[in-house]
Amino acid sequence: MPIRFNDAKLGSLYTNFEAQRRTNPNLKLGQEQVLQLVALVGDGNRGWSASKVATELQKPGMSREQQIALVKGGMTANEKKDLAAILDQGSVPLDPSAKQFLEAVLDRSAPLPPPPPVNGLSISGDQKNGLSGLAKAGASIEAINISTAPGGRLHMDDTTVIGKADANGAFTMAKLTGDQAMREGDLIRMRARNADGTTTDWVTIKATGIASKDTNNATVALFRIGLADAGNGKISVSNINASRQVSEPGAQLELTNKRTGEKTKVTITETGGFPEGFTVNGKPGDSFSVAASDGVNNTSFTQSVGNVTVPGGAPSNTDLIPDPALHKDELDSAGKPRFSKVNFTGPLFVDGAKPEDVQQGQIGDCYFPAAIAAIAKANPEAINKLIKDNGDGTYTVTFKQRDWNSQGFKDVAVKVDGDLWARSYGGALYGRSANSSDPRKMELWFPLVEKAYAQWQGSYDTIGNGGHSSDVFEAVLGRDGASINISAGNLNRVFDTIKRNIDANQPVAAGTYHDEARYTNTGVYGDHAYSVLGYEQQGNDRFVILRNPWGESEPAGNGANDGVFKLKLEEFAKLYQNLMYTN
Amino acid sequence: MAKPPEPIEEVMPNAAWVVEAEVKEVVSTGPTPPQPANAKPGATSVGYTSASQTVKLTITNVLKGDQATELVVEKPVGPYSLRPGNKGPFLIDKSRTILGRYGPDSWHLDRVKGALE
Repeated sequence: MPIRFNDAKLGSLYTNFEAQRRTNPNLKLGQEQVLQLVALVGDGNRGWSASKVATELQKPGMSREQQIALVKGGMTANEKKDLAAILDQGSVPLDPSAKQFLEAVLDRSAPLPPPPPVNGLSISGDQKNGLSGLAKAGASIEAINISTAPGGRLHMDDTTVIGKADANGAFTMAKLTGDQAMREGDLIRMRARNADGTTTDWVTIKATGIASKDTNNATVALFRIGLADAGNGKISVSNINASRQVSEPGAQLELTNKRTGEKTKVTITETGGFPEGFTVNGKPGDSFSVAASDGVNNTSFTQSVGNVTVPGGAPSNTDLIPDPALHKDELDSAGKPRFSKVNFTGPLFVDGAKPEDVQQGQIGDCYFPAAIAAIAKANPEAINKLIKDNGDGTYTVTFKQRDWNSQGFKDVAVKVDGDLWARSYGGALYGRSANSSDPRKMELWFPLVEKAYAQWQGSYDTIGNGGHSSDVFEAVLGRDGASINISAGNLNRVFDTIKRNIDANQPVAAGTYHDEARYTNTGVYGDHAYSVLGYEQQGNDRFVILRNPWGESEPAGNGANDGVFKLKLEEFAKLYQNLMYTN
Repeated sequence: MAKPPEPIEEVMPNAAWVVEAEVKEVVSTGPTPPQPANAKPGATSVGYTSASQTVKLTITNVLKGDQATELVVEKPVGPYSLRPGNKGPFLIDKSRTILGRYGPDSWHLDRVKGALE
């Protein structure tokens, strides 16, 4: 029999949960849903809005005891009856911690949690709704996501306070957010900091209950992998910044010597680095492809995360090494390529490097052609320096790689030939230029730079699943990339940034939102990067000149369908989310 | 996912209808498709997609296929979504599914007409 609610909002929310339960019979109300419910009753006596109550309830450090007091303080008698009805007659089951919370709000004799560990931290609970557990009363709960941390500059003890134990030592709803948000399978390192300043031992847990499966592979900080000639055909492998992680503890890395093909596996230590004295066979100049597995994903080590090179000697990655593999979308069900390679022999440059030479192919790397076209517009000489014709059917592309030792950038040379993946009727599959269907005529510089970038990063699949144009600016120019978010509130700053960079012959690119509904029929596409080629000022009106890296498709009324178009600054701010440039 | 539209030459042979049309009504919307995990904030070409939709089109011009003034068609899961009033050239296959990675924004009308010649 349906519950008759006194509070209409509460009734509406609970009816919604009942509807969800009909389509998902396994649905249980957890702490998150119960907090939504009690936020609607906590508003009654105070004149607060439900959203204000919700915000207060979820404030970092809010103990369970404080949450219960907050709800009870704002609850009317009728709302109390409604909550009791949910507890006693509700058709949607409550998980134990949620039930216990409601019972405490209603002053029923809820069982007290077990006593806290003497000098420890125990963790339980559904991580979808936040971690719960026990510590000493009043202790702060600290955590760091050591699966995502290698991608940033965090040390393994750079923790964030995610909760506080109440008077009974219990904590709930403890979550990491932002770049450290817990994903299925992530390793979370936690400890409790007691009121007297002492800390418990570290506890590491694997996040579960967040998604149906773990789809995130181990993150690898390639820039922290140090290779050095150890003599006798050995290369020592170490973490050049031992206070930060190369990858997550327990991850397996496979290093493949691209010259000899020899593969060596190593397990990342508890501190996120390599075992003491770890070596691989090789010599100065050898290049190694690095693949990683977290034990769940990429266990076959077929997906590379990138390459590292032993300093000294003649770099082996300037030897001709195998062409970058296709993007996974272009493989058949047996994992074989659906396309073949054609040797393109056209001119490297026709009338120098120009933005219109750049046309994105059938690959999700829009950030790359958008950045390269922006560089070709702002500083074509940088493209001339980027790629050299060796005169023997091969070309050397020299990228810039961040060097964490010197805080600068170092050169990485990649040698490629003119073989490109092509469609059955001719025409380059990925990046292309004018005359792409004729292998003897297509201008080669852009497709070969893209090929070299794919080779350097691992494969076309590695570069073909999204990225940032500012990373490409860094890789070509050796200047720090930067970005700002665009909004109606910072139009002057956005325009000044465009103007300053364009006037200084520095490249600029802009990215759109991934909210596809706003783009249909606008001539602008979502989840896409564009080159910013220039700006105009006409009286009080300011315009941004953009180019679609497809080399076509643009808003109506912009002349030839060449992908170049102009937007009023205000319209630009509605359609674009960020601006990328260099410092 | 901001890949360019497929080459129209590859898509046109599968089109049972090529029409100029306007979306009159979104009849229904499918479940939200799974979205890419691990996307860095601000990254582009990550591969976000919108749910499938069943939409009613008002046909203003039939360029290929049986004459019709209205068609109910399926917009598959993909990197665009439709709203009433959206218009353009629609390529539709025999199962009444809209072709082209971006539906009516996949190719300019001139390109579509050129591919029909």
